Amino acid sequence: MKLKSKLLALGASALLAFATPAFAEDWAPDGPLTIQIGFGAGGSTDTMGRVLAKVMKDNTGWNVIVENKPGGGGVAMFTGLSQRPATGNVVGMGVSIPVLVQLVNRGDQLPFDLESFDYLGTVAKAELALVASKDAPFDDLEGMVTYAKEQGTLPVATMAPPQVLIMNQTKAATGAEFNLVTADGGAEVMKLILGGQVLAGFGSGEQFPYLESGDMKVIAGANQTRLSFAPDVKTFIESGVNAYVDPVFFLAMKAGTDPEATKAIASAIDAAITAPEFVEIVQNAVKGAPVNMGAEGTKKMMVDGLANAKVLFAK
Amino acid sequence: MVDFSIILAGFSDAFTLFNLAFVLFGVVLGQFVGAVPGIGPIMAMAIAIPFTFGLDPLPAIAFLVGVNKGGLVGGAVPAVLMNTPGTPDAAATALDGNPLARQGKPLKATKMALFSSVTGDTFSDIVLITVSAPLAVLALKMGPIEVVALMIFAFSILAGLIGNSLTKGIIAAMLGLLVASVGQDPENYTPRLIFGYWDLFDGLPLPSVAIGMLAISEILHRLSEAHGNVRAAVSTEDTGNPDDKRVSWAEYWSCRYVMLRGATIGTILGALPGIGSTAAAFMSYAMTKAASKDPASFGKGNIQGIAASESANSAVVGANLIPLLTLGIPGSVGAALIISAFMIHGMQPGPLLFENQGRLVYGLFGAMLMANFVNLWVGQLGLRLWVKVVSAPESIIFSSALLLCFVGVAMATSGLFGVAIMLIFAVLGYLMASFGYSLVIFIIAFFLGPRFEKSIAQSLALTNGDLTQIFRSPVAVMLLLLSVASVVFFLRSNAQSEAR
Repeated sequence: MKLKSKLLALGASALLAFATPAFAEDWAPDGPLTIQIGFGAGGSTDTMGRVLAKVMKDNTGWNVIVENKPGGGGVAMFTGLSQRPATGNVVGMGVSIPVLVQLVNRGDQLPFDLESFDYLGTVAKAELALVASKDAPFDDLEGMVTYAKEQGTLPVATMAPPQVLIMNQTKAATGAEFNLVTADGGAEVMKLILGGQVLAGFGSGEQFPYLESGDMKVIAGANQTRLSFAPDVKTFIESGVNAYVDPVFFLAMKAGTDPEATKAIASAIDAAITAPEFVEIVQNAVKGAPVNMGAEGTKKMMVDGLANAKVLFAK
Repeated sequence: MVDFSIILAGFSDAFTLFNLAFVLFGVVLGQFVGAVPGIGPIMAMAIAIPFTFGLDPLPAIAFLVGVNKGGLVGGAVPAVLMNTPGTPDAAATALDGNPLARQGKPLKATKMALFSSVTGDTFSDIVLITVSAPLAVLALKMGPIEVVALMIFAFSILAGLIGNSLTKGIIAAMLGLLVASVGQDPENYTPRLIFGYWDLFDGLPLPSVAIGMLAISEILHRLSEAHGNVRAAVSTEDTGNPDDKRVSWAEYWSCRYVMLRGATIGTILGALPGIGSTAAAFMSYAMTKAASKDPASFGKGNIQGIAASESANSAVVGANLIPLLTLGIPGSVGAALIISAFMIHGMQPGPLLFENQGRLVYGLFGAMLMANFVNLWVGQLGLRLWVKVVSAPESIIFSSALLLCFVGVAMATSGLFGVAIMLIFAVLGYLMASFGYSLVIFIIAFFLGPRFEKSIAQSLALTNGDLTQIFRSPVAVMLLLLSVASVVFFLRSNAQSEAR
């Protein structure tokens, strides 16, 4: 998208030359502001990122561009971001948990740590649920564990390392056996459940249409607190498995960026997440309201999250 | 079942001049970016999505559908005219399309591609509109074990493309699988063969490998043949025979079974997420060649070869929407982009889509049918233009194509890293082609590799490593038997054609 951004930059600067200097007193990016999404096109991070970019563009008049940089749950994108000069025109958008797990598992191989970034804010929290087909012969985690013990083993679909670790904790805590099938994202997990190849699997939003249609039911919540869309369902922790994940969609820039820039971009993000069209897309994607922890709060969330991940996911 | 009045209302929403204008704009844009080597419809859609925010859902989606469908037709143009497929699914079209173009019949070749592409596309759209729900249920029953068997079957059919040397064919396939294994492994997320380059964490970028191998290596080849004299990139010498510029009804009709088979293969593979149009095009091509009375004429400009691959790769696109609309599962990158456009415009694909938003869905179907007709019409005009363009001197055409490949790959992979990878694969492709190794086999193995590996890993996890459980799945057993049969058939017919 380099060429396009250059052309757009050219167009934008031509336009700016004629525009009234309404933003003259504020910081503005030198050229286009790129939001790099750490996931592929079409997923929930991508969808939210694209709407966020559009609202930011409408609000500020900056030329905000979205690029997808998938790989390793955002690690490829954050690696790239950490190697860039801090020019103040590239923002990374990713999800906390996959990054934290990679930092715990192979932090020595990664060219970045939490200090490599200036944090701008968060946009939403994801709720991770273990779901099963409506016909499954169990309704909660205890029931599932009992059924797995009866059957000898039980197939469960996961889509990211933290979910594998939660299921391994469940194995350790209960003694039940699970066949863990790794899928390419939540949509494939749903396909495996609907096709009957697995009996349960994790969803971070992909399950909503099936919950609504009554084809699936929620077995357990994988966050620290109960799921907002299924408040009667117990979490893994409440069911005696001491593990949880709280994935948060956050934005960051290369550390050492001009504080003026981070401040201006962080406030542009903060203003954008209250826009009705952004609220709607967050509602569609994670069935919740936008959440911004702010720059400081985001950093604290990441630092605390890393400490927590070390405890929970220690090998 | 959706109320008939909703279906009618949906179609009448679609058939407005306003929507037609957006479909037309989308198709023109799609055909153009499809025909320019290196950019392609996926790029164009990713760029176009933000521009549809301001539109109502129906024109927005109609526009994106237009881009996607136009891109399919456009993609065949560089493959046929210059033997430089911009997308790997058009590589099968080049096998017979380019020889025909070189015989002074570029318009005939591109028109056959256009007609069979629109035919295959329309076929799969009709399947989508009429029987998507039962087909989606069948697709769900194809679990990891069945998918592994299907992939083995796909590989076995490719044996028909191996050509003279079995050893070289196997080496090319293994090399493709090796290259496909770069990046994190699907089971434990451990990085493999990345040599410290985190950009490779998600594997080698597909556009770099495909364009480097298929397009740039061909350009290198053509440049190395240049001898200083000015030649047209494609000879459009008038043969004096008006039949060489058109496709007669008799010719089209003679390919009806070929296109039906291609469209059926494309529709089946399209309904199964993640296998893709490249495999469909090559499977259809290989099957058509095997079924032909005159297999020796393939690769030398047989219009049936063009019809086979174009009808199959275009049918995939409509069929990709089957799992998307009914289950919310995207079957390809293009479908994933359409899903995000749906979500942005307030549509939630999944089991309730037809109930909640039936009118919009039938509006989408109306737009798809409209796009097929527009594609045919714009294609008729556009092809003449492209044929004129490539009659310019080859020094101009190939150097511009080279530039566009660089730009396209840099855009698609967001940076110069992808361009470097492209150049490495261009050299590899040039060497492989020079020493008689099949690039086509390599590319298919590379494209199918990750899905193949993932399905094997899933199957092993499901069965606790006990492969005998495959015999519990009748579908898998049937596909495996067919694979054995097709390998035997193809190897025997290869041996026979060599003996002759």
